[in-house]
Amino acid sequence: MPESTISVPLEIYRYDPKVDSAPRYERITLDLPPHTPVLTALLKVRQDRDPSLTLRYSCRSAICGSCAMQINSKSRLACETPVGPEVERHGRIVIEPMRNQPVLRDLIVDQQPFWTQYERIQPHLIPDPAHPMPEGRENPMTPEQVERFKETPRCIACGACYSACPAVEADPTFPGPMALAKLYRFVVDPRDGRTQDRLVSIQTGGLWLCLRCHLCTEACPKDVRPSERIRDLKEMAIDAQGATEHGSKHAVGFLRNIRETGTLNEFKLVRQTYSPLEMVGQVGQGIRMWRKKPEMMKKPKKVAGWEDVEKIYRALEDSPEDRQ
Amino acid sequence: MRTHEVVVVGAGLAGQRAALAAVQAGRDVAIVSKLHPLRSHSGAAQGGINAAVGKEDSVDTHIYDTVKGSDYLGDQDAIEFFCREAGPTVVEMEHFGTIFSRSPDGSLARRPFGGAGFPRTIYAADRTGLALLQALWERLGTARFTLYQEWDLARIIVTGGRVQGIVAFDRKSGTFEGIRAKSVVIATGPAGRIYGRTTNAHSCTGDGVALAYEAGAQLKDMEFVQFHPTALLESGILITEGARGEGGILKNAAGDRFMSKYAPHVLELASRDVVSRAIWTEVQEGRGFPGGYVHLELMHLGREKIESRLQEICDFCRRFAGIDPVVEPIPVLPAQHYMMGGIGTNIRGETNIPGLYAAGEAACVSIHGANRLGGNSLLETLVFGKQAGEWAAAHAEKAPASVLTEAQIESARAPIDAWSRRTEGEDPQALRTEMQATMDRYVGIYRNEADLLEGLRRIRALRARFENVRIVDQSRIYNLNMTDALETGHMLELAEVIVVGAFTRTESRGAHSRVDYPKRDDAQWMKHTLATRTPQGPALSYAPVSYTRWEPKERVY
Repeated sequence: MPESTISVPLEIYRYDPKVDSAPRYERITLDLPPHTPVLTALLKVRQDRDPSLTLRYSCRSAICGSCAMQINSKSRLACETPVGPEVERHGRIVIEPMRNQPVLRDLIVDQQPFWTQYERIQPHLIPDPAHPMPEGRENPMTPEQVERFKETPRCIACGACYSACPAVEADPTFPGPMALAKLYRFVVDPRDGRTQDRLVSIQTGGLWLCLRCHLCTEACPKDVRPSERIRDLKEMAIDAQGATEHGSKHAVGFLRNIRETGTLNEFKLVRQTYSPLEMVGQVGQGIRMWRKKPEMMKKPKKVAGWEDVEKIYRALEDSPEDRQ
Repeated sequence: MRTHEVVVVGAGLAGQRAALAAVQAGRDVAIVSKLHPLRSHSGAAQGGINAAVGKEDSVDTHIYDTVKGSDYLGDQDAIEFFCREAGPTVVEMEHFGTIFSRSPDGSLARRPFGGAGFPRTIYAADRTGLALLQALWERLGTARFTLYQEWDLARIIVTGGRVQGIVAFDRKSGTFEGIRAKSVVIATGPAGRIYGRTTNAHSCTGDGVALAYEAGAQLKDMEFVQFHPTALLESGILITEGARGEGGILKNAAGDRFMSKYAPHVLELASRDVVSRAIWTEVQEGRGFPGGYVHLELMHLGREKIESRLQEICDFCRRFAGIDPVVEPIPVLPAQHYMMGGIGTNIRGETNIPGLYAAGEAACVSIHGANRLGGNSLLETLVFGKQAGEWAAAHAEKAPASVLTEAQIESARAPIDAWSRRTEGEDPQALRTEMQATMDRYVGIYRNEADLLEGLRRIRALRARFENVRIVDQSRIYNLNMTDALETGHMLELAEVIVVGAFTRTESRGAHSRVDYPKRDDAQWMKHTLATRTPQGPALSYAPVSYTRWEPKERVY
């Protein structure tokens, strides 16, 4: 039975830096069955219309990580994004290269920044010399220990998370979601002997630059959930060496702060996060806050039902594994 | 010009393992790959890697199963070596950091696979290739080597009877570059895209195999092409044999579990050639579903087992076919999956050209013979990747300095430049599509003389048209149109070798099924096909199969 087709208006980003002074968008409309992957549509454009359209692709089954791109402004794998829902939602399909990486041509970006961040976290097993690998047989590892990796072994390094990440955009020193999820994979590996060092070095190595927006988790085609693993790393880093960074001091301060009254003591939180010297730099903002909302600067009173807040804290302390 | 001691072409598992071995031997090593190493097709392998490490299992049983699976065309000395290396190889990969699935006692979990006497396939859910590729790349990251990423191999330079290096095309800069090397290891994987209906990635175009052939290397047993029984109906995306290993069953439109007719003892876990032919026969004889396919049912395994052990294929079915295997059957049909043939090598990875080595799917040792068992290919990449790397390093240590001239780079570049200068000519993508349709139609699961002759006629006509191929894209940066042309040329070259080999071999053995010669003919055909390139096409010769302990028997599952 021939499947019915829909009209698929494509707007494809085209740019050859050697020839074009600026990027342009090429409009091509194809008739395709709604479940056709965007990659198939692009290959059809190459085959039938314009063989100069340039993109990366290989496996067409969401396992090689080659074809990540912006599809209607979301970082997706072209091979597993069907055209139908995109056209239904947006009326057209705008296809652009990934963000946060320089464009080399058309849909191909230079992924070197992404790989450099990946290499920075020492992405390999570093066994503890005191516990050598068992001679001639595998290290024992229980299914429960395998569970601790969560979904991080599924990562295909496509870079969709890196493209979606606003922290990467704001600060290129941020390792990015993929590198941090990879770091988590080594931190929880029972065969790795450098857990403590890895956590200590990442506390100052950009861990706390994550904005917790979860756009990486939304973008990830393999459900690796990088933002959740970043949260786990933050908890483990504080457990490992206490709060040493503004980010971790702020988090710990927040936790303690709320417990006291059930509401936030803004002034105290600043003191919990910054040293007296650093607070000098915050004076301007303090004055602006005081002018706009003077009550924020006062010590808050305990909220009604504060006892319940304390109960929640106690319950969490009793089951530390369930904090998540 | 660049100079290294060992150049490895291809960065999947075989290439990476070869590179690691050569680095560990103290050589100056470079990897040339058209993909970032983590994008290699090794990562798409799903089901697992065989090693007889269970208490009830034995290396001898693994050897026997592989010999039988090969339909007695595998070289038994090579298979013995291969199976003995299995345990240490898997343990080494575990030590490198591979995250395998585990049994409750903490040991490596194992699942049953087709053609195997015991559950011997060690796995990482249904993404074993990805797990191994990640761990090996992580390990290789601690070694010192040079990576030429997104470079296409353009020529292997052989002069004075030995390898002198390669010429490659840097996609990013658009330039042809020479690399001098004393040893070159070809690990460029398969050429599955010769077929239209294939589980292989778009990048599986046999570049290294075709260029080794062009440089004078002999290709072995190219007519043996494996069709995987279960690929998604429309896209040809692979559904792992692990799905049947975990208990999945096949049914025709009448609801019959038809494998009971074809392999009464082991049913769905017969070897791949047997199951593919069974499915094909059911469909051809009208017992398939409308449109021509059968069902793979997993529903009875339960949601938890399906979603944990078959997580990736669960996703594939849901995303690519709109099917939820937890509640409904998966429509499947066989698709081209693996090439048993390749560049002929011995167990050291040596070819007939001094300094030229090959490993992985690009090579043919031969351990798979006429049919490969599931779980043996990942193992092959690592065992023989290591061998090729070690022996390539040993060769490089002794060989004199290699000689590669600008004129040789120019001679590799000139014909391709000419393709770009044409104002009219053949579209490489159109030629590719026609080649794929030809191979699907005439050189598939079941073959006969008339079809193969017609297939050969068509492939030769396409090769003639390829002489006039045209590259339209005039840009120097990431000129994918040039890649289209290079790859299509390589595939057409190999397609011809496959068809000629299949036409000449007048018997049925393993994956090569001639309906006009339905019996295995040991008296006439217990031998390897060797193809040497000549201007008139492949010249065939034959080499004996090596035996140790196993006499050929009829193959029943």
